[in-house]
Amino acid sequence: MEIDIQLRPGSSAAKISLATGETLTAEGGSMIAMSNDMSLTTTTYKKNKGGVLKALKRMVSGESFFMNHYEPGPNGGAIYLATALPGDMMTMELNGQGLVVQGGSYVASSHDIEIDFSWQGLKSVFSGEGLFWLNINGTGKVIVNSFGAIYPVEVDGDYIVDTGHIVAFDETLDFKITKAGRSWISSMLGGEGLVCKFNGKGTVWCQSHNESSFGKIVGPKLRARK
Amino acid sequence: MESQATEIKKGFDFKFEGKPDYGYITVKIPASETLKVEASAMATMDTNLKMKTKFKGGFSRLFQGESLFINEFTAQNAPAEIGIAPAAPGDVEHVYLDNEAIFLQSSAFVASGMDVKAETKFQGLVKGFFSGENLFLIKCSGQGDLWFNSYGGVIEIDVNDGYVVDTGHIVAFTETLEYKISKVGGYKSLFFSGEGLVCRFSGEGKVWIQTRKVNPLAWWVHPFRRSRKNN
Repeated sequence: MEIDIQLRPGSSAAKISLATGETLTAEGGSMIAMSNDMSLTTTTYKKNKGGVLKALKRMVSGESFFMNHYEPGPNGGAIYLATALPGDMMTMELNGQGLVVQGGSYVASSHDIEIDFSWQGLKSVFSGEGLFWLNINGTGKVIVNSFGAIYPVEVDGDYIVDTGHIVAFDETLDFKITKAGRSWISSMLGGEGLVCKFNGKGTVWCQSHNESSFGKIVGPKLRARK
Repeated sequence: MESQATEIKKGFDFKFEGKPDYGYITVKIPASETLKVEASAMATMDTNLKMKTKFKGGFSRLFQGESLFINEFTAQNAPAEIGIAPAAPGDVEHVYLDNEAIFLQSSAFVASGMDVKAETKFQGLVKGFFSGENLFLIKCSGQGDLWFNSYGGVIEIDVNDGYVVDTGHIVAFTETLEYKISKVGGYKSLFFSGEGLVCRFSGEGKVWIQTRKVNPLAWWVHPFRRSRKNN
């Protein structure tokens, strides 16, 4: 499987070339073009497995309930994936180590990657940040996307990242969702809401922009909805 | 493309800048030559360019959600430069038509040479409705430059053995290709894959696809709108 991310960073799309026998699992709605004989199967979880519960959990995390599996014809094939919002994409290689990916940032993964859901507690619901994360494990490739540019931060010790700016992070990192300021009131009024306090050694991939912050700028300019 | 004769005009000098996110075009129009430009796309120009507004494409253009007009810019006495910026931030592309034809999505036309004929073509009700786009395509044919644009980036794909493109992601395709609207996968995929219907191209030629669409951006903003208070 070869992944070529084109037109970075604003208009990025991933071209994934598949050899015969390889399967790509992708988020629903992300395919923009593909080879003629690429076949698509839609399942609730993994190909040839059930997993309705996992699908339900994934739906809560902001991903779709169904997963699409693409398989090329006898001569191999290619598929282009893109996202709705302007921003970048990145390929992560997993060799057994785990990765935590922000719910909306998952795009696609190779066949042997396991995707599970992790919920970051009731606090996140009240914060309005919708903190639903995916635990991704296995060996293979994962494609993630961001709103704006992606940049890595090497953490060695403590580091704080606003929850709206997290794309993914190494599972080796410990983290705690907490308030940005001293008190809840100052955190909310300060507009920072929740932050993620990381501890340990590993990488956090951040996105330069927070989509809900942008939405809050654009939305009020439009006529109120009924 | 074979170049057989020396009299084949290569088209105007031009350059692209800001690709792929903020693409715009600067075209050098030789003295007494004319360029057709989509209305309102002119951003900058030399003072010796004379503009004439043309009603092109006839009545059907009314239904395309497009402005009705194409303006013609003629360089008087000396060569002149024009800066053309499409309405949506995104990519710009160029092809030189050599007695060929290209179909453009109805909002993709930016500019062309005078010998390129731009006409609206009815896609047919089935194709039109299900393609998620307009009922009309613009057919550009003849000889000369053609510039087109889209929201998001544009990727050119060589089609040899057919290709599948998500409806709504088509920017342009060569006339040599046939297409039909169909589903991908089984019926479960039709309803649950989020991919819905696709355009299945066959034959040999080129298709240009866009990496972003305007509609999903608009839908994404929607929840951020204020809600009107009911009394």
